Amino acid sequence: MIDSIVAKVRDGGRVSAEEALALYHHAPTHVLGRLADGIRLRKHPEQVVTYIIDRNVNYTNICVARCNFCAFYRPVGSGEGYVLGFEEIFHKIDETIAVGGNQLLLQGGHNPDLPIQWYEDLFRGVKARYPDFKLHALSPPEVLHISRLNQLSTTQVIERLVAAGLDSIPGGGAEILVDRVRKLLNCYSKATSDEWIGIMRQAHLAGLRTTATMMYGTVETDEERIEHMMRLRDLQDETGGFTAFITWSYQPEHTEHGGFEETGVDYLRTLALSRIVLDNFDNLQASWVTQGGKVGQLSLAYGANDMGSVMIEENVVRAAGAAYCMDELEIVVNIEDAGFLPKRRNMHYEILGDPIFREREVPRMLALATARADGDTSVPDELKNYEARSRHGRQLRLGQ
Amino acid sequence: MSTVTAFDVYVDRINRGEPLSADEIRELAVTPDILSLGMLADTVRRRLHETRATFLRVADVAFDNQAMLGQSPAAREIRLTGSPSTLAAAVAAVEAARAVAGDRKVAGFSWDDIARWSAGASTGQVLARLRQAGLDAIVDLPLDVIDDPRYAVESLKDAGFLQLRLTISKAPADARTPLLIRAAQLQDSAGAIHALNPLPLSLSTFRPTTGYEDVKMVALARLAAPNVPSIQVDWQRYGPKLAQVALTFGADDIDGVSASDEAPEGRRRAPRAEIERNIEAAGLLPVERDGWFNLLQS
Ligand code: SF4
Repeated sequence: MIDSIVAKVRDGGRVSAEEALALYHHAPTHVLGRLADGIRLRKHPEQVVTYIIDRNVNYTNICVARCNFCAFYRPVGSGEGYVLGFEEIFHKIDETIAVGGNQLLLQGGHNPDLPIQWYEDLFRGVKARYPDFKLHALSPPEVLHISRLNQLSTTQVIERLVAAGLDSIPGGGAEILVDRVRKLLNCYSKATSDEWIGIMRQAHLAGLRTTATMMYGTVETDEERIEHMMRLRDLQDETGGFTAFITWSYQPEHTEHGGFEETGVDYLRTLALSRIVLDNFDNLQASWVTQGGKVGQLSLAYGANDMGSVMIEENVVRAAGAAYCMDELEIVVNIEDAGFLPKRRNMHYEILGDPIFREREVPRMLALATARADGDTSVPDELKNYEARSRHGRQLRLGQ
Repeated sequence: MSTVTAFDVYVDRINRGEPLSADEIRELAVTPDILSLGMLADTVRRRLHETRATFLRVADVAFDNQAMLGQSPAAREIRLTGSPSTLAAAVAAVEAARAVAGDRKVAGFSWDDIARWSAGASTGQVLARLRQAGLDAIVDLPLDVIDDPRYAVESLKDAGFLQLRLTISKAPADARTPLLIRAAQLQDSAGAIHALNPLPLSLSTFRPTTGYEDVKMVALARLAAPNVPSIQVDWQRYGPKLAQVALTFGADDIDGVSASDEAPEGRRRAPRAEIERNIEAAGLLPVERDGWFNLLQS
């Protein structure tokens, strides 16, 4: 059985869910890797491995969703809750541009005290100051949260945010697109599987490109992992709107759900399987942020063709225990050491050029920045201009 | 001949138990195709060890901190760390360790230490003195540092040290292939080598090794030295993720697992449970071993 599936994949055939499961259960790791590597080579024969210089900014950690796998959020009223000010975000953009970056990946908690006008003003402010800078922002559950909070449809939310400057939507919040799993992880109410897929469909139809993600290793079965991939593959067949797929292992530290992280071999097998199943996705990112630089680099042999982001800042995964850092130089060394040609890209996977540090001097980054310095509890001045929904938020506004 | 065909031929030969030549190993060392290399190494590994992967729990104890000697009863090897300035200090440390070790292995020191203590005496006398004190193994026999590895191996054998383990101190990747070939030649001529640890023991923060480099070196070691029973990776130095992946690239033994059965923090698993889980997730059967490579029933 396995031999015939292996031959089918080698010949460019598409696997069914049953075949994918059989491969995952029975194919040796090297066989999965070679199949995935063959597909990568077919799609990227020029042997280029890309990366992007951007900054992962989490504009707020206050969240009413309370997913039980998340170590990042703080409830409304927490002394550790924060909202970044516009000026703070502009400052982060200045730092990003200084190291050759061209985009913010902007995501945050479901904060009931940030109406849609806050996002619109922020996006307009960014575009007024940095017209060419890209905003890859607000995953589907955030779009849904904004729609509920402001009593707008998700289509209206997307339209308004695009008008304000939104360029593309990140694929966060997908976790596993199976409602049984979402209920167990307490992320069903933030967005059901259908809602997540539906918002991505709307975004694609509105002309936006988006990414897709999968966080595995919590409570899902192998079948459910594959069901997740199938749902993404179906939508990609329909719209072609996904630029890339990124998978990572659940990071358990400091989370309510607890448990253990899946191993490095599990990651490489899952990555390889996703390359095989998602035959209509051009790009697969390596998650070195969760796997570390070494397994991150090895991902390039198991189907990945992109090293993701030269992260300048990261808060979410770090809160759950992973704290790996690679600057552009290190990413490039890893790509070249693996026998590939490193190229900088934008969110649309268009090649922007060779490594920036070979064109001009850029400061080395040996540690990731955080959203805010420890102990900084300042409240941005402009928040008083926006109506708060929570009692705590309203009290804060009164005190401003 | 295309690369795939060449690899298929290699697989056939390996399955017949035929070693690859030094020239073939050098040729493989420059391939970027680490998956094929890994498959070849895994074929050798499975021929020698089937689906078994062993691990050794070690108590690392500073040679001058005898108070810590009794701390890790689960360890199957007491490993003295540090470099005593005199042979007398080394002997005292070994005797103290031997007194609490029972049937467990006592290991320590490097060939550099032996060479230093041998100034004014013969190497044989130094080794005999340490053996007499109860030392079972020299931990570091770095092929890239020892001037005359053959002399070192012969001297150790003569002094009664068995199941030697060869290491690499810090040679860069491109300098390591000849060392792996050398290890196989040494085994052919002198014997007594039980394990080869091909990843550098001194880690450079300035130029850390990469994942490709590490797994390639493990695979090359397995292919270059099929006459050496075990290819090891160090659990603590290289971390669970890389060590686990190395098991699919030809390694069969994980060295340096912490002997503490306490979970180090919060919800993390105890080291033994963690390593067993990692070995199983690599599709292999975890078996604890003692310092002499005897398999222990769990
Ligand atoms: S994962 Fe996102 S939505 Fe869920 S609790 Fe964390 S911040 Fe909130």
